[in-house]
Amino acid sequence: MITIFRNLFAPPKHLILLVIAAWIGLTLAEKRAERHGLSKDHLNNLIFYGIVAFIIGGRVSFVLQNIPTFTKSLLDIFSINPDLFDSFGALAITFIAMLIYGQRHNLALWPTLDALTPFFAIIAVGLGLSHLAAGTAFGIPTDLPWAIDLWNAKRHPTQIYEWLASLLTFCLLWFKKSSLHPGLTFLSFTSLTAGWQLFIGGFRSSNILILNVLHQDQVMAWFVLMTCFVLYEFRLKQEKQKPVY
Amino acid sequence: MQRNQRIILYILLLIAGASWIVLSADTTKVSASNNTTAPQAGFTAPDFTLKTPQGEAYTLSKLKGQAVLVNLWATWCPPCRAEMPSIEKIYLEYKDKGFVVLALNMTYQDDPLAVVPFLQDHGLTFPVLLDETGETAFAYQLRSLPSSYFINRNGTVSEVVIGGPMSEALLRARIEKILQ
Repeated sequence: MITIFRNLFAPPKHLILLVIAAWIGLTLAEKRAERHGLSKDHLNNLIFYGIVAFIIGGRVSFVLQNIPTFTKSLLDIFSINPDLFDSFGALAITFIAMLIYGQRHNLALWPTLDALTPFFAIIAVGLGLSHLAAGTAFGIPTDLPWAIDLWNAKRHPTQIYEWLASLLTFCLLWFKKSSLHPGLTFLSFTSLTAGWQLFIGGFRSSNILILNVLHQDQVMAWFVLMTCFVLYEFRLKQEKQKPVY
Repeated sequence: MQRNQRIILYILLLIAGASWIVLSADTTKVSASNNTTAPQAGFTAPDFTLKTPQGEAYTLSKLKGQAVLVNLWATWCPPCRAEMPSIEKIYLEYKDKGFVVLALNMTYQDDPLAVVPFLQDHGLTFPVLLDETGETAFAYQLRSLPSSYFINRNGTVSEVVIGGPMSEALLRARIEKILQ
């Protein structure tokens, strides 16, 4: 089953999974946007500009980091190679673009983030599946009965853990019955995601280490989790201080 | 839940998280991926010995100390054909710095008689090797053509690019990295 899936979405076709996830995420986010006081038009525009900024930002960031290689072949700046891409730069520029759009249209930060949460949650599901298809973010070798054959070893199926955890996160937030204060849906999603990334990271074969031992993705997830807790309390405090009429 | 209870819960969760980071930290995991051969970034590149159409044999492991681009291609594959001029240009630019290209023709699924005329038509000067049995394609878990593996001087796969054609800028960026 996994082999069929991996063959069907072998790179570069694994990117199709992210496109499908973005489409489903946008559809679901649209359904709930008005509950958070965000119009469908604003949500669509925000995601559209976000995606455009992500694509352009990723390329611009890559070019800026490799200026000498592009000076010899300037037209390659517009090459269709998806590998000429820097993910961190793309995320940073997407964040800036969405922030500018939000400010120009006077969108409230926390309700907007809440409205975008289903989109982010489905993207996380798609990311787990695309990791499985591409064989990236793979696990450490193990003898466990549910280990998968990957890169010439039996390994923890970390991509499947990731997919299940993100699906569970989405279901928890989508089917929750009580409504939360503005911002808490987004913060719950972020803290849950950081929490399971921190946990699953322990089973991942990471080549990026801090101090030669600690997994960088786990350390980053820990800091994100801590920030979420601080912001969670900050939001609750802000809500309590609101005047009651 | 009261504020104090929540703060205690946060602290406990953060302590548990930090403990898990320390517990799951293990330097052997990194060396494990380097000792295993696999066509994936971070692993030792699968070794092979193949011959050129002229009969000259090349073994990947004997090229340790040099940066190698292993490119899997076929004459019937349009993006493979399209990226060959760029690979040739970059090969000439970097070969004096210790860069080698091994272009592995998937002869078992290609027309063997089409390979040599293709090389002559495009004036390719880097070694083109023939995978007549598909053994190397199997070792590299080939799923799409072209597939390119950038291997650093230690014999470890640094980057994998599936699909193409690769642009000159992409080739330069990857090669600069494996030459370091």
